[in-house]
Amino acid sequence: MRALWAIALVLVGCDSDNEGDPESFLDTGGSLEIEGCGYTLTTRLGAEPPKPSGKVIGSDPTPRAVHLGIMGDPKTSIVAQWRTADETTTVTKLRYDKATDSAPLELSKVVEGVHFRYNATGTDLFHMHQVHLCDLEPGTTYSYQVGADDHWSPIYTFHTAPDVEAHPDAEVVFGFVGDSRGGYDVWAQLASQLQLRTPDVILFSGDAVTIGLTQYEWEEFLGVAEPLLATTPIVITNGNHEANAINFFSQFALPGDQENFSFDYGFAHVFVANDSPDNPSDITSLIPTLMDADFTDHASARWKMLMHHRPMYSSGSRHGSAMDIRAAWGPIVDEHKLDLVLNGHEHQFEMSKPIAGGVVQTSNADGTVYVVAGGAGAELYDFGPANPWSEYTESAHTAALIRVRRDQLTLDPFRPDGTAVPTGLTKTKL
Amino acid sequence: MKLAALAALLLLARIAAAQPADGERSFRDASTRGDITALEQLGAQRPLTMWSDDAWAEAARLAVKANDFTRARAALEQVIAIGTDDRLVRRARNELARIASFTGTSGEHTAVAAEHERLAPQLNAGTDPKPALRELERLVRAHPTYPRAPMLMVALAQGWEREGEGDRAIAWLREAQTIATVPADQLRIGAELVRTLIRTGKLAAAEQELDRFAGGASPGIVINLRKDLDRAELRRTVRWLMWGVLVALAAAAVLALRRAAGSWRAALRRLARPPMEALFLVPISAVVVGFALTGNPLIARTVLAIILAGVVTSWVSGAILDGQPRVRLGRAAAHAGLSIVAILASVYLAVDRGHVIDFIIETWHQGHERG
Repeated sequence: MRALWAIALVLVGCDSDNEGDPESFLDTGGSLEIEGCGYTLTTRLGAEPPKPSGKVIGSDPTPRAVHLGIMGDPKTSIVAQWRTADETTTVTKLRYDKATDSAPLELSKVVEGVHFRYNATGTDLFHMHQVHLCDLEPGTTYSYQVGADDHWSPIYTFHTAPDVEAHPDAEVVFGFVGDSRGGYDVWAQLASQLQLRTPDVILFSGDAVTIGLTQYEWEEFLGVAEPLLATTPIVITNGNHEANAINFFSQFALPGDQENFSFDYGFAHVFVANDSPDNPSDITSLIPTLMDADFTDHASARWKMLMHHRPMYSSGSRHGSAMDIRAAWGPIVDEHKLDLVLNGHEHQFEMSKPIAGGVVQTSNADGTVYVVAGGAGAELYDFGPANPWSEYTESAHTAALIRVRRDQLTLDPFRPDGTAVPTGLTKTKL
Repeated sequence: MKLAALAALLLLARIAAAQPADGERSFRDASTRGDITALEQLGAQRPLTMWSDDAWAEAARLAVKANDFTRARAALEQVIAIGTDDRLVRRARNELARIASFTGTSGEHTAVAAEHERLAPQLNAGTDPKPALRELERLVRAHPTYPRAPMLMVALAQGWEREGEGDRAIAWLREAQTIATVPADQLRIGAELVRTLIRTGKLAAAEQELDRFAGGASPGIVINLRKDLDRAELRRTVRWLMWGVLVALAAAAVLALRRAAGSWRAALRRLARPPMEALFLVPISAVVVGFALTGNPLIARTVLAIILAGVVTSWVSGAILDGQPRVRLGRAAAHAGLSIVAILASVYLAVDRGHVIDFIIETWHQGHERG
């Protein structure tokens, strides 16, 4: 077996003797190069530098809130993340193998990961575990479980992204949803409905929790959706309610700086942007520059999507259209002829007509469709007066499924009870 | 002879090379048109191509969108039978299981499910939802074993609550609670019942329901519902207090007006004449309301309510002071103070309505919308 990954510590502060000791907690953040993956894991101010798997088994090392993330090429890599019932366990292991239908399943490959603690408010320290797998085969299903010694999670499966050069007929499916904050019972239902539809990736447009620094809300968000999130990687953007909290950045493995990044999955290229940054001037300076450069670099991508939190086009009565974002990012969306822009913030479902340069187009081929699906559980909002660019509005809890093939993109929204929202999008390209 | 064989081989190679592109084109054309029949024909063609399973999968997707679950199941079975893409086959198996979960293993609930799908959008279509609500009630009564019945009842509860029939909504949620078996549904119904009781002002019943719900629900959901309930109780208390303040001030104003005017008839005459304060305030108020109406409608309604309260207060206040040549400083200060209290009480009641207060708290915590 080839070595899966090795870790090279580039920062000091990994003394294993005091790895679980609150006194030794260093909240400076830090970086660790994940060897074999070609990227570096960076924790932020408020978290300690990541450390290799330790030796401490705490009072209850049972893994919980298991969820997957993406940091590298999703064709060949994935990140498994979890917390333990105690906050002291430092052993971080994952065992896995290609999934087979034959029983008993043997998870013969064992790898060790990294762990780190973070501090949100008060003196409580929360412990995060991650294992990075980076030499997987494209389009392959794997089974895995995480934990330590005699304390393992249930066995879950995940799937790597297909190699579209080898499989031009490959279809990838994104589950798109946002704004679960406060309504974790609805989120549990939507997660269950999403799981039945077998998406490849969950795109979450922010506001998973009401207050980003409140750990119990994150436990709820991740806990009720564990069957989905342990089998499907989640790509999430910071919403105004996450407020760039350390809990957000610590619990989700994401590409790049975790705020403004892109990734390819199947025939889709997705750029994710933080439209509620710590420095508001980033909206008009840094982010448009990054976005423009990224879409220029990926000009040949078949399908281009942008996900952020506050919608450029919304008929919602609560917030409406974010005109600052529209002014700063709208021209880039138009210039690069993006296919879809995915948002939340307004707790309802709305899909626009195809729009280019602020003008409604007659054909899907000529414009970008803006979708707000901010109904993953938060209290629903009403709509204001109808807008001429709006195709469909419904004040309901919803999620949507986005299927992407080489020549076709479809969007099908649905409600937590599984019933279909009577609208959708089909877009084709030659 | 060799030359003929070579030519035949070249021809075969050309056909093989052309086939995926042809298949892709046929697939694209049929799916763009939403032509389920053409996709089924493409999927049924032999020999199989890499697009055969994709054609069946797309046919199934379109059939589900058309609420034709029988056709969707048949297409999904074809994906499973001929599929070469592991992920597509896995997805088809799960989709088949999903459809079976509400149409029944032998499809016995297919017609009910199609009718449910047809009626559900009418609850949010912007037109009068009552006919659809009544039809859905008939549907669920006629088919109590329909697997989606508990969640259909939740939709009925939400629909009736929006129509102002809180008790009917609560009754549907209680019935849903008795028949739900899926854990995610049970969690949702329990939480929804507590929220509905809170929204309809039945706080004591919400407290009882939350205590019962707390035993089986995860702690985070219970904490949030408890916060919702505590907030509702606090706001109800403050609301009553504010109404009390307004009623007391209104009574005091009426008495002060009677005393200042000398008789009830004179007091009414004073009230009929707009005092100077009100005359000054009305044009400014009109401008403020006009601006507010160009923005967020929720805020506009609140601004309108606050402005109305301001005009009424200044009117009554002006009427009381009208004709008094000299007012002592202490009395003037008390008069102004009570007017401010009346305005503040009105402002609270205005922002409490429509949950604008949550909007204000959110802005307080996170800054204003930069849009």
